[in-house]
Amino acid sequence: MILFLVIGATWALLYVPQDYQQGLTNRILYVHVPVASLSLSFFPLMAVAGTITLVWKMKLADMVVKVAAPLGAWFTALALASGSIWGVDTWGTWWIWDGRLTSLLLQFFLLLGIISLRSALEDSDAAARACALLSIVGCINVVVIKYSVDWWNTLHQPGTTFGMTSDQPNGPEFWIPLLIMGIAVALFFAVSLILATRNEILERERRSQWVQELVQE
Amino acid sequence: MTPASVDTSAQGIATRASQSLTRAVMLDGSDLFCERDDRILFEHLSFTVTEGQVLQIKGSNGSGKTTLLRILCGLNDSYQGSIRWYGQALEAQVEEFYGTLLFIGHRVGVNKVLTPLENLRWTCSLQQQVADAELYQALAKVGLRGFEESQCFTLSAGQQQRVSLARLLISDARLWILDEPFTTLDAGGVSLLEGLLRSHADAGGAVIVTTHHELRVADLQQMTLG
Amino acid sequence: MNKQRVSTGQAFRATLQRDLLIAYKRKNDMVNPFMFFLIVASLFPIGISPDSERLAEIAAGVLWISALLASLLAMDNLYRADYEDGSLEQLLLSPHPLYFMVLAKNIAHWLVSGLPVVLISPLIAYMLNLPSESYMTLFVTLLLGTPVFSLLGSIGVALTVGLGSRGLILAVITLPMSVPVLIAGTLAIEQTSNGASLGGYLAILGAMLVASISLAPLASGAALRISVN
Repeated sequence: MILFLVIGATWALLYVPQDYQQGLTNRILYVHVPVASLSLSFFPLMAVAGTITLVWKMKLADMVVKVAAPLGAWFTALALASGSIWGVDTWGTWWIWDGRLTSLLLQFFLLLGIISLRSALEDSDAAARACALLSIVGCINVVVIKYSVDWWNTLHQPGTTFGMTSDQPNGPEFWIPLLIMGIAVALFFAVSLILATRNEILERERRSQWVQELVQE
Repeated sequence: MTPASVDTSAQGIATRASQSLTRAVMLDGSDLFCERDDRILFEHLSFTVTEGQVLQIKGSNGSGKTTLLRILCGLNDSYQGSIRWYGQALEAQVEEFYGTLLFIGHRVGVNKVLTPLENLRWTCSLQQQVADAELYQALAKVGLRGFEESQCFTLSAGQQQRVSLARLLISDARLWILDEPFTTLDAGGVSLLEGLLRSHADAGGAVIVTTHHELRVADLQQMTLG
Repeated sequence: MNKQRVSTGQAFRATLQRDLLIAYKRKNDMVNPFMFFLIVASLFPIGISPDSERLAEIAAGVLWISALLASLLAMDNLYRADYEDGSLEQLLLSPHPLYFMVLAKNIAHWLVSGLPVVLISPLIAYMLNLPSESYMTLFVTLLLGTPVFSLLGSIGVALTVGLGSRGLILAVITLPMSVPVLIAGTLAIEQTSNGASLGGYLAILGAMLVASISLAPLASGAALRISVN
């Protein structure tokens, strides 16, 4: 993962030719695009894990829901932040009510709702199932939100030509580092999810024998 | 529907008279295990309740009495083990079970702004059709004559408990599950409820009740938790 | 002593009647969201500008957001009293599909908290100088949209009914979910005033309503079971 991250980052930051229009700012897209596309996968992931929690009562699935929510919030926040930094140069402003940004923002709010529901419910079993249910409802909702926001956006800004697709790098010297960064971020996501789940398992099983033995080593 | 039920109840009386020893097992649980907040409430818990029997559950505070009752009702499903209703897994026949179950919990299910009459009408109407005359009659029997039309927040806790007890008079549920029904009742209420339990058991129904009260019922079975 | 069983339809009606009766006896709960809607909507001209042209521009959005907030405020007493006095347990133990019981409660709740807001909306629209050709659109879209707010809010309330302080969590859960309805409603008003036909927007709002009627009570029911557990 680190290898990919290092290669991707250096390539993207140092060797990719500057975009003739956007200059150096373009380079943040190498972080933004992978992070943003991954952050879209959180709700489906949580909904699947939530269904497993509700139907089969598998504790591991609940742990995934639990650790994915804050992770997803971070990813979404990072995507929003990198997007708005990129926006400063491209659009001339930190924030515009672009369709993608708006639906990401709403997804961020929904994730915050799940996190705060989890922290408010004392009983861990009830919290697990409530959050699982909310993840499923949220996942359906995120899809509806996405479509309705796009629709709202196209009607409100019929003349806009900006959008990220047109600005995406197109030659191989652009997309190879992007691909590497994509793999790197995906690996980063997987590793952090696994590490966080491991922590969660250790915390929940803190009274069991194997954890005690592990601590003593 | 109607003739069939008449038939079974008539049959029920006949069988009870002739073969009182072979009454059907209504509800039984085996090897129940429940853990709450990393604390084991009970494990390897087994019981059977037959028709005509009263099962009294005792135990100190926090020993899981209420949790057990809620598990039996299906309100709480964080347990392991199996519960059977007439020998079949309970989960497979929840609707039939709920059609003949009467549960009065710690919170008795009496809305404060409604009158006893309106409360009773709604809770009963979830299970069976009841005429208003019968509601009045039941409320009179539990000692609420004259209070039928006053809002429940003007009543005492014991009177509100009595509103819920009126359901016992109306319902034809075969299984009653009652959580501490004696706590707020006065002496008159206690003997009224005891009478109700006795006649329900005599008619072939079963009761599962948590209380520390000494019950005087013919076929009493006791179980202590914790 | 043999009694007729009750059909699900009868139990549905009994629950609906009961909730309407409770609302009638607790007039405060009925009037509060309505008053809230009036007050919030009338704060906008004070906060932004009394200029009638600018007001006309924002009127649709103001009405929709006020209606959304009023519905959020009203949600809290949907299951709370029933949770506290144990009636909710009786509801969960009824031999009928929980879907219909929850739907009955939702409908009763919308009738006493959502419908008055819809009915008064033309008056507020007049005060906010909404163009007169948009009145019909506003009324019809609110009529289709506010039940969706109630149905979605019901999920959030059902999840949080056991919590002590639930106000903010409820808002964080519910408000983002309501965005699609808000978008469809305000776009309908804006676009029809520019000459677009209303039919498509009504179809979209109607689809949202049908989808939430058929799915949201299921989610609310599941959430209630979790909360009571």
